Amino acid sequence: MYRQSVSRSTPGCVVILLDRSDSMKLPWGKSGDSLAVGAALAVNNILLDMCVKATTEVNAPVRHYFDVGVFSYGARLTGPGGEGVEPAFGGPLAGRGLVPLPELAAHPMAVRQEPSIDLMPVNVKMPVWVDPAHGYRTPMCQAVAVAGGYVFDWAAAHPDSFPPIIINITDGMVTDNPYDGATIQEWVERLTAIETRDGRALFFNVFLSPVEVPEIVFPSDPGGLPLPGPDLFALSSVLPAPMVENARVDGYDVRAGAKGLAFNVGRSTLLRVLQVGTRVPDRSA
Amino acid sequence: MHAWQVVFSVPKHGNSEAEWEDGAAAAPGDPATGRGPRFAVADGATQGFGSTRWAMRLVEGFVGEGAGGLDEIPDLAAEPLHRWLRRTQDRWRHDPLLAQATDMQVYKLETVGSFATFLGCEFVDLDGPHPHWSAVAIGDTVLFQVRGDELVATFPPIPAHGFGVNPHGLPTGPKALEAVVDRLLFDEGVLLDGDVIYLATDAFADWVLREEEGDRRELWTTLAGLDHPERFRALVDDRRRANDMVNDDVTLMRVSISAAGPENLVVCL
Repeated sequence: MYRQSVSRSTPGCVVILLDRSDSMKLPWGKSGDSLAVGAALAVNNILLDMCVKATTEVNAPVRHYFDVGVFSYGARLTGPGGEGVEPAFGGPLAGRGLVPLPELAAHPMAVRQEPSIDLMPVNVKMPVWVDPAHGYRTPMCQAVAVAGGYVFDWAAAHPDSFPPIIINITDGMVTDNPYDGATIQEWVERLTAIETRDGRALFFNVFLSPVEVPEIVFPSDPGGLPLPGPDLFALSSVLPAPMVENARVDGYDVRAGAKGLAFNVGRSTLLRVLQVGTRVPDRSA
Repeated sequence: MHAWQVVFSVPKHGNSEAEWEDGAAAAPGDPATGRGPRFAVADGATQGFGSTRWAMRLVEGFVGEGAGGLDEIPDLAAEPLHRWLRRTQDRWRHDPLLAQATDMQVYKLETVGSFATFLGCEFVDLDGPHPHWSAVAIGDTVLFQVRGDELVATFPPIPAHGFGVNPHGLPTGPKALEAVVDRLLFDEGVLLDGDVIYLATDAFADWVLREEEGDRRELWTTLAGLDHPERFRALVDDRRRANDMVNDDVTLMRVSISAAGPENLVVCL
Protein backbone atom coordinates (compact mmCIF):
# COMPACT_ATOMS: atom_id res chain seq x y z
CA MET A 1 0.00 0.00 0.00
CA TYR A 2 1.07 3.61 -0.68
CA ARG A 3 3.83 2.43 -3.02
CA GLN A 4 2.59 3.66 -6.38
CA SER A 5 4.81 6.31 -7.94
CA VAL A 6 3.41 9.10 -10.06
CA SER A 7 3.56 8.91 -13.83
CA ARG A 8 1.31 10.20 -16.54
CA SER A 9 -0.62 6.93 -16.53
CA THR A 10 -0.90 6.95 -12.76
CA PRO A 11 -1.03 10.63 -11.77
CA GLY A 12 -1.60 11.65 -8.17
CA CYS A 13 -4.32 13.85 -6.72
CA VAL A 14 -3.76 16.63 -4.20
CA VAL A 15 -6.61 18.64 -2.73
CA ILE A 16 -6.06 21.56 -0.37
CA LEU A 17 -8.88 22.80 1.85
CA LEU A 18 -8.18 26.43 2.70
CA ASP A 19 -9.83 28.12 5.67
CA ARG A 20 -11.09 31.59 4.70
CA SER A 21 -13.01 32.23 7.90
CA ASP A 22 -13.01 35.60 9.66
CA SER A 23 -10.33 34.66 12.16
CA MET A 24 -7.83 34.26 9.33
CA LYS A 25 -7.54 38.05 9.42
CA LEU A 26 -5.44 37.84 12.59
CA PRO A 27 -1.73 38.58 12.27
CA TRP A 28 0.54 35.56 11.96
CA GLY A 29 3.22 35.82 14.61
CA LYS A 30 5.88 38.40 13.78
CA SER A 31 5.44 38.10 10.02
CA GLY A 32 3.38 41.28 9.79
CA ASP A 33 0.94 39.50 7.51
CA SER A 34 -2.39 37.91 8.36
CA LEU A 35 -2.95 34.17 8.61
CA ALA A 36 -4.91 34.44 5.35
CA VAL A 37 -2.01 36.08 3.50
CA GLY A 38 0.50 33.58 4.87
CA ALA A 39 -1.69 30.58 4.06
CA ALA A 40 -2.33 31.78 0.49
CA LEU A 41 1.40 32.37 0.08
CA ALA A 42 2.14 28.82 1.23
CA VAL A 43 -0.52 27.36 -1.07
CA ASN A 44 0.86 29.27 -4.05
CA ASN A 45 4.35 28.11 -3.12
CA ILE A 46 3.35 24.44 -2.97
CA LEU A 47 1.50 24.70 -6.29
CA LEU A 48 4.62 26.22 -7.84
CA ASP A 49 6.69 23.51 -6.20
CA MET A 50 4.55 20.81 -7.82
CA CYS A 51 4.78 22.50 -11.23
CA VAL A 52 8.54 22.80 -10.93
CA LYS A 53 8.88 19.13 -9.99
CA ALA A 54 6.97 18.18 -13.13
CA THR A 55 9.17 20.42 -15.30
CA THR A 56 11.76 18.11 -16.78
CA GLU A 57 13.35 19.50 -19.91
CA VAL A 58 13.58 22.34 -22.42
CA ASN A 59 10.88 22.24 -25.10
CA ALA A 60 8.84 19.79 -23.03
CA PRO A 61 5.54 20.64 -21.33
CA VAL A 62 5.02 20.29 -17.59
CA ARG A 63 4.17 16.62 -17.09
CA HIS A 64 0.73 15.57 -15.96
CA TYR A 65 1.87 14.06 -12.68
CA PHE A 66 -0.99 15.45 -10.55
CA ASP A 67 -4.52 16.69 -10.63
CA VAL A 68 -4.78 19.52 -8.13
CA GLY A 69 -7.66 21.29 -6.42
CA VAL A 70 -7.90 24.07 -3.84
CA PHE A 71 -11.25 24.56 -2.12
CA SER A 72 -11.87 27.42 0.27
CA TYR A 73 -14.38 27.51 3.11
CA GLY A 74 -15.64 30.60 4.86
CA ALA A 75 -15.85 33.77 2.77
CA ARG A 76 -16.91 33.17 -0.81
CA LEU A 77 -15.38 35.38 -3.49
CA THR A 78 -17.63 34.31 -6.35
CA GLY A 79 -21.34 33.88 -7.00
CA PRO A 80 -23.57 35.32 -4.34
CA GLY A 81 -20.71 35.81 -1.88
CA GLY A 82 -21.42 35.19 1.78
CA GLU A 83 -20.36 32.01 3.55
CA GLY A 84 -19.73 28.75 1.77
CA VAL A 85 -17.34 26.43 -0.04
CA GLU A 86 -15.96 27.07 -3.51
CA PRO A 87 -13.00 26.25 -5.76
CA ALA A 88 -10.40 28.82 -4.80
CA PHE A 89 -8.48 29.24 -8.04
CA GLY A 90 -8.68 32.74 -9.50
CA GLY A 91 -8.22 33.98 -13.04
CA PRO A 92 -8.66 31.57 -15.96
CA LEU A 93 -9.15 28.59 -13.64
CA ALA A 94 -11.90 30.23 -11.53
CA GLY A 95 -14.66 27.79 -10.70
CA ARG A 96 -12.60 24.73 -11.64
CA GLY A 97 -12.38 21.82 -9.20
CA LEU A 98 -9.49 19.50 -10.04
CA VAL A 99 -7.07 20.84 -12.63
CA PRO A 100 -4.32 18.85 -14.41
CA LEU A 101 -0.87 20.13 -13.49
CA PRO A 102 0.11 21.25 -17.04
CA GLU A 103 -3.03 23.39 -17.21
CA LEU A 104 -2.34 24.79 -13.76
CA ALA A 105 1.21 25.72 -14.76
CA ALA A 106 -0.02 27.47 -17.87
CA HIS A 107 -2.79 29.51 -16.23
CA PRO A 108 -1.87 31.37 -13.04
CA MET A 109 -4.11 34.33 -12.25
CA ALA A 110 -1.03 36.57 -12.09
CA VAL A 111 2.76 36.58 -11.93
CA ARG A 112 3.80 39.12 -9.31
CA GLN A 113 6.22 40.01 -6.54
CA GLU A 114 5.49 38.02 -3.40
CA PRO A 115 7.30 37.99 -0.06
CA SER A 116 9.67 35.12 0.59
CA ILE A 117 7.97 32.31 2.50
CA ASP A 118 10.87 32.03 4.92
CA LEU A 119 10.56 35.65 6.07
CA MET A 120 13.76 36.72 4.39
CA PRO A 121 13.53 40.42 3.54
CA VAL A 122 13.24 39.74 -0.16
CA ASN A 123 10.44 39.58 -2.67
CA VAL A 124 10.40 37.07 -5.48
CA LYS A 125 8.43 37.09 -8.68
CA MET A 126 6.21 34.04 -8.77
CA PRO A 127 2.96 32.77 -10.26
CA VAL A 128 -0.15 33.14 -8.13
CA TRP A 129 -3.24 30.94 -8.31
CA VAL A 130 -5.00 31.74 -5.02
CA ASP A 131 -5.63 35.10 -3.33
CA PRO A 132 -5.98 35.58 0.44
CA ALA A 133 -9.46 36.21 1.82
CA HIS A 134 -11.27 36.00 5.16
CA GLY A 135 -14.77 36.36 6.49
CA TYR A 136 -17.67 34.50 8.10
CA ARG A 137 -17.47 31.22 10.01
CA THR A 138 -15.69 27.87 9.43
CA PRO A 139 -17.86 25.39 7.43
CA MET A 140 -15.27 22.63 7.43
CA CYS A 141 -17.80 19.79 7.21
CA GLN A 142 -19.16 21.22 3.99
CA ALA A 143 -15.62 21.63 2.64
CA VAL A 144 -14.87 17.96 3.30
CA ALA A 145 -18.18 17.01 1.68
CA VAL A 146 -17.57 19.08 -1.45
CA ALA A 147 -13.97 17.92 -1.84
CA GLY A 148 -15.12 14.34 -1.26
CA GLY A 149 -17.32 14.50 -4.35
CA TYR A 150 -14.39 15.45 -6.54
CA VAL A 151 -12.09 12.94 -4.85
CA PHE A 152 -14.60 10.12 -5.30
CA ASP A 153 -14.88 10.73 -9.03
CA TRP A 154 -11.11 11.06 -9.38
CA ALA A 155 -10.39 7.80 -7.53
CA ALA A 156 -12.91 5.95 -9.67
CA ALA A 157 -11.12 7.18 -12.78
CA HIS A 158 -7.62 6.41 -11.44
CA PRO A 159 -7.85 3.04 -9.67
CA ASP A 160 -4.12 2.30 -10.01
CA SER A 161 -2.86 5.65 -8.73
CA PHE A 162 -1.48 6.64 -5.35
CA PRO A 163 -4.57 7.49 -3.28
CA PRO A 164 -5.82 11.09 -3.11
CA ILE A 165 -4.17 13.39 -0.58
CA ILE A 166 -6.37 16.01 1.10
CA ILE A 167 -4.66 18.67 3.22
CA ASN A 168 -6.79 20.92 5.41
CA ILE A 169 -5.31 24.29 6.46
CA THR A 170 -7.29 25.90 9.27
CA ASP A 171 -7.04 28.14 12.30
CA GLY A 172 -10.30 27.46 14.00
CA MET A 173 -13.09 25.28 15.27
CA VAL A 174 -15.61 23.68 12.94
CA THR A 175 -18.85 25.71 12.92
CA ASP A 176 -21.12 23.52 10.76
CA ASN A 177 -20.89 20.32 12.79
CA PRO A 178 -23.07 18.32 12.12
CA TYR A 179 -23.64 19.09 8.45
CA ASP A 180 -26.32 17.38 6.41
CA GLY A 181 -26.87 14.81 9.16
CA ALA A 182 -23.23 13.82 9.62
CA THR A 183 -20.53 14.95 12.02
CA ILE A 184 -17.08 16.08 10.96
CA GLN A 185 -15.76 12.68 12.04
CA GLU A 186 -18.31 10.96 9.80
CA TRP A 187 -17.51 13.25 6.85
CA VAL A 188 -13.82 12.51 7.22
CA GLU A 189 -14.53 8.78 7.53
CA ARG A 190 -16.46 8.97 4.26
CA LEU A 191 -13.61 10.88 2.65
CA THR A 192 -10.91 8.46 3.77
CA ALA A 193 -13.04 5.47 2.79
CA ILE A 194 -12.45 6.51 -0.82
CA GLU A 195 -9.61 4.39 -2.10
CA THR A 196 -7.56 3.23 -5.02
CA ARG A 197 -5.87 -0.16 -5.25
CA ASP A 198 -2.90 1.49 -3.54
CA GLY A 199 -4.73 2.49 -0.38
CA ARG A 200 -7.29 4.79 1.20
CA ALA A 201 -7.40 8.54 0.73
CA LEU A 202 -5.21 10.47 3.17
CA PHE A 203 -6.52 13.39 5.21
CA PHE A 204 -3.92 15.67 6.79
CA ASN A 205 -4.44 18.76 8.94
CA VAL A 206 -2.41 21.89 9.51
CA PHE A 207 -3.50 24.17 12.34
CA LEU A 208 -2.30 27.77 12.26
CA SER A 209 -1.92 29.84 15.39
CA PRO A 210 -1.78 33.65 15.49
CA VAL A 211 0.45 33.54 18.54
CA GLU A 212 3.98 32.24 18.77
CA VAL A 213 3.80 28.92 20.58
CA PRO A 214 5.82 25.73 20.19
CA GLU A 215 5.17 23.89 16.92
CA ILE A 216 4.09 20.26 17.05
CA VAL A 217 4.70 18.44 13.78
CA PHE A 218 3.67 14.86 12.94
CA PRO A 219 2.78 13.79 16.51
CA SER A 220 2.25 10.13 17.34
CA ASP A 221 0.28 10.87 20.49
CA PRO A 222 -2.52 13.41 21.12
CA GLY A 223 -1.39 13.91 24.71
CA GLY A 224 -0.37 17.50 25.38
CA LEU A 225 -2.02 18.96 22.30
CA PRO A 226 -4.12 22.02 23.15
CA LEU A 227 -7.62 22.32 21.72
CA PRO A 228 -8.59 21.54 19.02
CA GLY A 229 -5.46 19.40 18.70
CA PRO A 230 -6.91 16.12 19.99
CA ASP A 231 -9.86 16.38 17.60
CA LEU A 232 -7.61 17.14 14.63
CA PHE A 233 -5.30 14.31 15.69
CA ALA A 234 -8.22 11.89 15.59
CA LEU A 235 -9.27 13.13 12.17
CA SER A 236 -5.80 12.93 10.64
CA SER A 237 -4.48 9.92 8.74
CA VAL A 238 -1.38 8.05 9.82
CA LEU A 239 1.56 9.06 7.64
CA PRO A 240 2.29 6.22 5.20
CA ALA A 241 5.83 4.86 5.07
CA PRO A 242 7.06 6.91 2.07
CA MET A 243 6.01 10.16 3.74
CA VAL A 244 7.58 9.09 7.02
CA GLU A 245 10.79 8.69 5.03
CA ASN A 246 10.30 12.12 3.43
CA ALA A 247 9.73 13.71 6.82
CA ARG A 248 12.81 12.08 8.31
CA VAL A 249 14.93 13.23 5.38
CA ASP A 250 13.63 16.73 6.14
CA GLY A 251 14.85 16.38 9.71
CA TYR A 252 11.63 15.58 11.55
CA ASP A 253 11.70 13.05 14.37
CA VAL A 254 8.83 10.87 13.15
CA ARG A 255 7.79 7.97 15.32
CA ALA A 256 5.63 4.93 14.64
CA GLY A 257 1.99 5.86 14.21
CA ALA A 258 2.76 9.53 13.50
CA LYS A 259 -0.22 11.42 12.13
CA GLY A 260 -0.35 13.85 9.23
CA LEU A 261 -0.93 16.75 11.61
CA ALA A 262 1.03 19.94 12.16
CA PHE A 263 -0.04 22.19 15.02
CA ASN A 264 0.68 25.86 15.66
CA VAL A 265 3.03 26.01 12.71
CA GLY A 266 4.81 29.05 11.35
CA ARG A 267 4.95 30.02 7.70
CA SER A 268 8.09 28.20 6.66
CA THR A 269 7.01 25.07 8.56
CA LEU A 270 3.64 25.18 6.80
CA LEU A 271 5.40 24.99 3.44
CA ARG A 272 7.68 22.18 4.60
CA VAL A 273 4.71 20.20 5.89
CA LEU A 274 2.90 20.71 2.59
CA GLN A 275 6.00 19.48 0.77
CA VAL A 276 6.18 16.33 2.89
CA GLY A 277 2.47 15.71 2.46
CA THR A 278 2.46 16.12 -1.32
CA ARG A 279 5.59 14.12 -2.10
CA VAL A 280 4.36 10.70 -3.10
CA PRO A 281 6.64 7.70 -3.65
CA ASP A 282 9.17 8.37 -6.31
CA ARG A 283 12.37 6.85 -7.51
CA SER A 284 14.72 9.73 -6.89
CA ALA A 285 17.04 8.27 -9.48
CA MET B 1 39.62 -12.36 -24.45
CA HIS B 2 36.71 -10.66 -26.08
CA ALA B 3 33.94 -8.65 -24.43
CA TRP B 4 30.66 -7.71 -26.08
CA GLN B 5 27.63 -6.05 -24.68
CA VAL B 6 23.92 -5.70 -25.20
CA VAL B 7 21.70 -3.09 -23.54
CA PHE B 8 18.06 -3.52 -22.61
CA SER B 9 15.87 -0.70 -21.36
CA VAL B 10 12.24 -0.01 -20.53
CA PRO B 11 10.80 3.36 -19.44
CA LYS B 12 8.42 3.77 -16.54
CA HIS B 13 5.01 2.31 -17.22
CA GLY B 14 2.93 5.17 -18.52
CA ASN B 15 5.86 7.02 -20.06
CA SER B 16 7.05 6.94 -23.67
CA GLU B 17 10.42 5.61 -24.80
CA ALA B 18 11.57 9.22 -25.17
CA GLU B 19 10.99 9.77 -21.45
CA TRP B 20 13.49 7.08 -20.38
CA GLU B 21 15.85 9.00 -18.07
CA ASP B 22 18.69 6.51 -17.72
CA GLY B 23 21.82 6.45 -19.81
CA ALA B 24 24.01 3.62 -21.10
CA ALA B 25 27.12 3.62 -23.25
CA ALA B 26 30.00 1.35 -24.19
CA ALA B 27 33.17 1.73 -26.22
CA PRO B 28 35.89 -0.68 -27.33
CA GLY B 29 39.40 -0.48 -25.99
CA ASP B 30 42.14 1.61 -27.54
CA PRO B 31 45.24 -0.44 -28.43
CA ALA B 32 47.26 2.74 -28.89
CA THR B 33 46.90 3.76 -25.25
CA GLY B 34 46.33 0.37 -23.71
CA ARG B 35 42.96 1.45 -22.37
CA GLY B 36 40.46 -1.41 -22.20
CA PRO B 37 36.81 -1.47 -23.24
CA ARG B 38 34.56 0.71 -21.12
CA PHE B 39 30.94 0.37 -20.06
CA ALA B 40 28.74 2.79 -18.12
CA VAL B 41 25.16 3.04 -16.90
CA ALA B 42 23.56 6.04 -15.16
CA ASP B 43 20.13 6.68 -13.71
CA GLY B 44 18.93 10.28 -13.98
CA ALA B 45 16.79 11.78 -11.22
CA THR B 46 13.10 11.49 -11.97
CA GLN B 47 12.36 14.89 -10.48
CA GLY B 48 15.39 16.62 -11.90
CA PHE B 49 15.70 18.94 -14.88
CA GLY B 50 17.45 17.71 -18.02
CA SER B 51 18.07 14.34 -16.37
CA THR B 52 18.32 12.39 -19.61
CA ARG B 53 20.93 14.81 -21.00
CA TRP B 54 22.85 14.59 -17.75
CA ALA B 55 22.81 10.79 -17.58
CA MET B 56 23.86 10.52 -21.24
CA ARG B 57 26.66 13.07 -20.87
CA LEU B 58 28.05 11.07 -17.97
CA VAL B 59 28.05 7.68 -19.63
CA GLU B 60 29.21 8.94 -23.03
CA GLY B 61 31.94 11.03 -21.48
CA PHE B 62 33.16 8.14 -19.36
CA VAL B 63 33.56 5.81 -22.32
CA GLY B 64 34.99 8.50 -24.61
CA GLU B 65 32.02 9.38 -26.80
CA GLY B 66 31.41 12.79 -25.24
CA ALA B 67 32.34 16.26 -26.41
CA GLY B 68 35.96 15.83 -25.47
CA GLY B 69 36.25 12.46 -27.16
CA LEU B 70 39.06 10.10 -26.33
CA ASP B 71 41.30 12.90 -25.05
CA GLU B 72 39.15 13.46 -21.99
CA ILE B 73 38.48 9.95 -20.78
CA PRO B 74 39.08 10.04 -17.02
CA ASP B 75 41.26 7.54 -15.24
CA LEU B 76 39.48 5.54 -12.56
CA ALA B 77 40.73 7.55 -9.60
CA ALA B 78 39.13 10.27 -7.52
CA GLU B 79 41.07 13.29 -8.76
CA PRO B 80 40.85 12.65 -12.53
CA LEU B 81 37.17 11.84 -12.13
CA HIS B 82 36.65 15.06 -10.17
CA ARG B 83 38.21 17.14 -12.95
CA TRP B 84 36.22 15.30 -15.60
CA LEU B 85 32.97 15.81 -13.67
CA ARG B 86 33.59 19.54 -13.41
CA ARG B 87 34.05 19.74 -17.20
CA THR B 88 30.97 17.60 -17.75
CA GLN B 89 28.89 19.82 -15.46
CA ASP B 90 30.08 22.90 -17.30
CA ARG B 91 29.07 21.50 -20.67
CA TRP B 92 25.68 20.42 -19.35
CA ARG B 93 24.97 23.88 -17.92
CA HIS B 94 25.99 25.58 -21.15
CA ASP B 95 24.09 23.35 -23.51
CA PRO B 96 22.90 25.54 -26.44
CA LEU B 97 19.49 23.92 -26.02
CA LEU B 98 19.00 25.97 -22.84
CA ALA B 99 18.66 29.17 -24.86
CA GLN B 100 15.07 28.08 -25.47
CA ALA B 101 14.22 27.50 -21.80
CA THR B 102 11.16 29.12 -20.21
CA ASP B 103 11.34 31.04 -16.91
CA MET B 104 10.13 28.00 -14.97
CA GLN B 105 12.69 25.79 -16.70
CA VAL B 106 15.51 28.22 -15.94
CA TYR B 107 14.31 28.39 -12.33
CA LYS B 108 14.43 24.61 -12.02
CA LEU B 109 17.80 24.43 -13.77
CA GLU B 110 19.27 26.89 -11.27
CA THR B 111 17.54 25.74 -8.08
CA VAL B 112 17.25 22.00 -8.59
CA GLY B 113 19.24 20.82 -11.59
CA SER B 114 19.64 17.09 -11.69
CA PHE B 115 21.71 14.23 -10.46
CA ALA B 116 22.32 10.66 -11.51
CA THR B 117 23.52 7.49 -9.94
CA PHE B 118 26.45 6.18 -11.93
CA LEU B 119 28.47 3.07 -12.51
CA GLY B 120 31.44 3.05 -14.86
CA CYS B 121 33.62 0.05 -15.58
CA GLU B 122 36.76 -0.75 -17.60
CA PHE B 123 38.04 -4.19 -18.52
CA VAL B 124 41.78 -4.13 -18.01
CA ASP B 125 44.45 -6.46 -19.43
CA LEU B 126 41.93 -8.62 -21.27
CA ASP B 127 44.68 -10.19 -23.36
CA GLY B 128 47.28 -10.13 -20.64
CA PRO B 129 48.12 -12.26 -17.63
CA HIS B 130 45.74 -10.53 -15.20
CA PRO B 131 42.43 -9.69 -16.86
CA HIS B 132 40.16 -7.81 -14.47
CA TRP B 133 37.41 -5.25 -14.23
CA SER B 134 37.92 -1.93 -12.49
CA ALA B 135 34.89 0.16 -11.61
CA VAL B 136 33.70 3.37 -10.00
CA ALA B 137 30.21 3.83 -8.59
CA ILE B 138 27.99 6.21 -6.72
CA GLY B 139 24.42 5.41 -5.77
CA ASP B 140 22.45 2.26 -6.39
CA THR B 141 23.27 1.37 -9.97
CA VAL B 142 24.91 -2.01 -9.53
CA LEU B 143 27.49 -4.27 -11.20
CA PHE B 144 26.95 -8.03 -10.89
CA GLN B 145 29.66 -10.49 -11.90
CA VAL B 146 28.35 -13.97 -12.64
CA ARG B 147 30.42 -17.11 -13.16
CA GLY B 148 28.34 -20.11 -14.15
CA ASP B 149 25.31 -19.77 -11.93
CA GLU B 150 27.16 -18.08 -9.12
CA LEU B 151 27.18 -14.40 -8.27
CA VAL B 152 30.84 -13.76 -7.49
CA ALA B 153 30.76 -9.96 -7.08
CA THR B 154 28.24 -7.22 -6.39
CA PHE B 155 29.41 -3.62 -6.60
CA PRO B 156 28.51 -1.44 -4.79
CA PRO B 157 27.64 -3.99 -2.09
CA ILE B 158 24.00 -3.03 -1.59
CA PRO B 159 22.06 -5.66 0.36
CA ALA B 160 18.68 -6.95 -0.77
CA HIS B 161 16.00 -4.50 0.39
CA GLY B 162 18.73 -1.86 0.67
CA PHE B 163 17.56 0.24 -2.23
CA GLY B 164 16.29 3.55 -0.88
CA VAL B 165 14.53 6.46 -2.48
CA ASN B 166 17.31 8.92 -1.72
CA PRO B 167 20.51 7.42 -3.15
CA HIS B 168 23.72 9.36 -3.58
CA GLY B 169 24.39 10.57 -7.11
CA LEU B 170 26.44 12.87 -9.31
CA PRO B 171 24.92 16.37 -9.25
CA THR B 172 24.77 19.05 -11.93
CA GLY B 173 25.45 21.76 -9.34
CA PRO B 174 29.14 22.73 -8.96
CA LYS B 175 28.90 23.27 -5.19
CA ALA B 176 27.23 19.93 -4.60
CA LEU B 177 29.92 18.12 -6.56
CA GLU B 178 32.60 18.84 -3.96
CA ALA B 179 30.60 16.98 -1.34
CA VAL B 180 30.01 13.83 -3.38
CA VAL B 181 33.46 13.18 -4.77
CA ASP B 182 34.44 11.60 -1.47
CA ARG B 183 31.52 9.22 -1.86
CA LEU B 184 32.81 7.65 -5.05
CA LEU B 185 33.43 3.96 -4.51
CA PHE B 186 36.06 1.92 -6.34
CA ASP B 187 36.52 -1.81 -6.73
CA GLU B 188 37.91 -4.41 -9.07
CA GLY B 189 37.68 -8.13 -9.71
CA VAL B 190 39.39 -10.88 -11.69
CA LEU B 191 37.82 -11.80 -15.04
CA LEU B 192 37.72 -15.36 -16.34
CA ASP B 193 36.66 -16.82 -19.66
CA GLY B 194 32.86 -17.26 -19.56
CA ASP B 195 32.14 -14.60 -16.96
CA VAL B 196 29.17 -12.32 -17.49
CA ILE B 197 28.98 -8.79 -16.11
CA TYR B 198 25.63 -7.06 -15.65
CA LEU B 199 25.17 -3.35 -14.99
CA ALA B 200 21.66 -2.62 -13.73
CA THR B 201 19.79 0.45 -12.53
CA ASP B 202 18.15 0.30 -9.12
CA ALA B 203 14.70 -1.16 -9.76
CA PHE B 204 16.12 -4.08 -11.72
CA ALA B 205 19.11 -4.53 -9.42
CA ASP B 206 16.79 -4.63 -6.43
CA TRP B 207 14.75 -7.39 -8.08
CA VAL B 208 17.90 -9.31 -9.05
CA LEU B 209 19.20 -9.35 -5.51
CA ARG B 210 15.89 -10.57 -4.11
CA GLU B 211 15.65 -13.29 -6.78
CA GLU B 212 19.23 -14.27 -6.09
CA GLU B 213 18.19 -15.28 -2.60
CA GLY B 214 15.82 -17.83 -4.19
CA ASP B 215 16.33 -19.80 -7.39
CA ARG B 216 19.60 -18.26 -8.59
CA ARG B 217 20.07 -20.78 -11.42
CA GLU B 218 16.71 -19.76 -12.90
CA LEU B 219 17.57 -16.07 -12.50
CA TRP B 220 20.94 -16.16 -14.22
CA THR B 221 19.72 -18.53 -16.94
CA THR B 222 16.89 -16.11 -17.69
CA LEU B 223 19.14 -13.07 -17.86
CA ALA B 224 21.80 -14.83 -19.91
CA GLY B 225 19.12 -15.96 -22.34
CA LEU B 226 17.63 -12.54 -23.03
CA ASP B 227 17.96 -12.22 -26.77
CA HIS B 228 15.41 -9.59 -27.79
CA PRO B 229 14.19 -6.25 -26.36
CA GLU B 230 10.63 -7.55 -26.30
CA ARG B 231 11.60 -10.46 -24.06
CA PHE B 232 13.18 -8.01 -21.65
CA ARG B 233 10.12 -5.77 -21.76
CA ALA B 234 7.89 -8.79 -21.10
CA LEU B 235 10.00 -9.76 -18.10
CA VAL B 236 9.82 -6.25 -16.64
CA ASP B 237 6.09 -5.88 -17.34
CA ASP B 238 5.42 -9.23 -15.70
CA ARG B 239 7.36 -8.35 -12.56
CA ARG B 240 5.70 -4.92 -12.36
CA ARG B 241 2.24 -6.48 -12.61
CA ALA B 242 3.19 -8.81 -9.76
CA ASN B 243 4.30 -5.79 -7.70
CA ASP B 244 7.71 -7.40 -7.60
CA MET B 245 9.51 -4.52 -9.34
CA VAL B 246 8.84 -0.83 -8.75
CA ASN B 247 7.64 1.27 -11.65
CA ASP B 248 10.87 2.97 -12.61
CA ASP B 249 13.01 3.35 -15.70
CA VAL B 250 14.89 0.09 -16.06
CA THR B 251 18.23 -0.47 -17.75
CA LEU B 252 20.30 -3.66 -17.94
CA MET B 253 23.64 -3.92 -19.75
CA ARG B 254 24.97 -7.46 -20.18
CA VAL B 255 28.64 -7.86 -21.03
CA SER B 256 29.84 -11.34 -21.98
CA ILE B 257 33.51 -12.32 -21.76
CA SER B 258 34.88 -15.16 -23.82
CA ALA B 259 38.17 -16.29 -25.26
CA ALA B 260 36.38 -17.26 -28.44
CA GLY B 261 34.17 -14.26 -29.06
CA PRO B 262 30.49 -14.37 -30.05
CA GLU B 263 29.35 -17.16 -32.31
CA ASN B 264 26.52 -15.19 -33.88
CA LEU B 265 25.65 -11.60 -34.60
CA VAL B 266 21.99 -11.03 -33.79
CA VAL B 267 20.14 -8.03 -35.18
CA CYS B 268 16.76 -7.35 -33.56
CA LEU B 269 14.19 -5.83 -35.91
